[in-house]
Amino acid sequence: MAGWIIAAALAGAALGAGASDRLAPLPPYGTAYTPTTVDERGLWQQADEAERDLRDSPAVVRDPALNAYLTKVLCRSVGEDRCRGVRIYVVRAPVFNASMTPNGMMVVYTGALLRLRDEAELAALLGHEFGHFEMRHTLASFRRGRTIGDIIAWTSVLSPYSTLPASLIQLHFSYNRAQEAEADLMGLRYLAAAGYRPLAASRIWERLMAEQDATALGRKRHVTHRYSAGFFADHPTELARATYLREAAGADGERGDDSRDAFLTAMRPWRASFLADQIKLNDFGGSEYLLGELAGGQWTPDLLLTRGELYRERGNPRDLVSAAQFYQQAIDAGCTDPIAWRGLGLSLLRGQQEAAGRAALKTYLERAPQASDRAAMAMLIGEGGVQ
Amino acid sequence: MRRGWGALACAAALTLVAAPLAAQEKTGNKPGFTLAPGTATIVLMRPEIAVGAQSTGGSYEPNADWTDQARENLGRALAEAQGKLGNRVVTHVEPVGQGAATAHEYRALFTALADSVITYQFFPGNRLPTKKRGDSFLWSIGSEVAKLPGVQGADYALFVTTEDHYGSTGRKLLQVFAAGVAGIGVSAGVHKGYAGLIDLKTGDLVWLNADLAMGGDVRTPEGAAKRVSQLLEGFPGKPVEAPVAPAAPTKTAAR
Repeated sequence: MAGWIIAAALAGAALGAGASDRLAPLPPYGTAYTPTTVDERGLWQQADEAERDLRDSPAVVRDPALNAYLTKVLCRSVGEDRCRGVRIYVVRAPVFNASMTPNGMMVVYTGALLRLRDEAELAALLGHEFGHFEMRHTLASFRRGRTIGDIIAWTSVLSPYSTLPASLIQLHFSYNRAQEAEADLMGLRYLAAAGYRPLAASRIWERLMAEQDATALGRKRHVTHRYSAGFFADHPTELARATYLREAAGADGERGDDSRDAFLTAMRPWRASFLADQIKLNDFGGSEYLLGELAGGQWTPDLLLTRGELYRERGNPRDLVSAAQFYQQAIDAGCTDPIAWRGLGLSLLRGQQEAAGRAALKTYLERAPQASDRAAMAMLIGEGGVQ
Repeated sequence: MRRGWGALACAAALTLVAAPLAAQEKTGNKPGFTLAPGTATIVLMRPEIAVGAQSTGGSYEPNADWTDQARENLGRALAEAQGKLGNRVVTHVEPVGQGAATAHEYRALFTALADSVITYQFFPGNRLPTKKRGDSFLWSIGSEVAKLPGVQGADYALFVTTEDHYGSTGRKLLQVFAAGVAGIGVSAGVHKGYAGLIDLKTGDLVWLNADLAMGGDVRTPEGAAKRVSQLLEGFPGKPVEAPVAPAAPTKTAAR
């Protein structure tokens, strides 16, 4: 019965496909590459429409220097001839992610930029996404998903109690995980060929696991990192990725360049705003871990300020004491952002240190006379507002 | 990162099928709204058009050629229909830069609004408590829409959306087989569209026409003309008889 079902389904799928299935011989990153098959043309048009909308979206960070830097790293990683087929869009979203559409639109979230440590790690991420583009993964997945859907449709009509659909759905997701692993390894090859440190690729996933642990701990949840992926997972687990990337990096994985200074210079103007977005996630454990990671023993004013905000947001009495200390340390270390005095003042006021708190809030209003919360702060000082 | 669910979700949901749409209403008007012919200027926003095939399993297969044909045919049919709507209709010129972002946001907002009207007003059994009275067709996208670049001087904005999934041969075979042998209903093809009119002074939705089972093959000029006439059925201020003004030669905006 099952064999007959599959034969019928494949016949149906073949009838449905119709037009020519041959792909254009040129690589998709070539100059003015034009897709030729019905499926690829359709997917490209959909992606083009999505790109028109993203291009104009207020969520995109359009800073020329930041974008030029990302393009430079991609070009060094995958090669000058290949990278020209890609447009990179930096999207303001405080989570670790990046994506690629079949037409060469690459999206990198600011949360990923905040979590990467050096240029080699950035190159690994960009190379992974480029791998999806080069291997036409979306197209392959679309076609396989369609064939699997066709077989499931026939099966559910012909043999409603068959377990074949469940196996096929599992197959579909394991195909997608295989694509991710393939893109990971392509990214690693680009990384090594460009002279970056190959171990950078696995480090990303090791730190991400540690951050997930910290998040779970902060939320009093239990977390276990598994090697095998779940039924519906479309990516391999972080543990699996870290492991195979470390193995593939080989014995001399530490050799090569990580261009840490260039990366930090490019990110310096952005880190404060990326951090401000991060602590709005209401993820105390994860944010605290991330701040510690970023500091690496050297607490800079922007990190101290963010840590103060994080503790003040949680707001237990002991957190307010810690927050006031962090704000004071930030100010002592040369922080000039007025919100440090606001945070200090509010923390002190709630910690029963009213005189010092009012003084700090006064400094805040002197430094930021146009602040949108001026009236509220003035009321707290006792200088007006509704009593 | 990336896609994947659609095809399988459709296939899984194929456990079938097609809730009867019979009880659905198709048109709504803001209470008390009238539009006299020859009194207003209407801006036609760039239509949203997607045309493709429906695979045997039910997933959407985008087709670039069909979408291009539909855009051209519907553009021409809309231009012809513009002269017959009783008021002056001009095509929106898409702004660039910041204005384009705003235009995109309003297009998305209109789509969300129209979807809400279809779900919570046009299905009488599913009405929100505030939409149960006869005169409660009150929906708005906000008066800020007046600041949208390219609509200054106009009174109304007309939004048009169509989506077509033509059933593939495999899907039709499955449909016939499922009905004949297994006695299960499987739908083939999705043809939905809506058109709505927004008052640019208040942002209120004054007219919406939505149909989840439209006619007319948008890939052909004749079919597109039929589709446009269905989309604009019940358009306010439309003279009953022949056109009052000759059709102005207009082109749909290329983005």
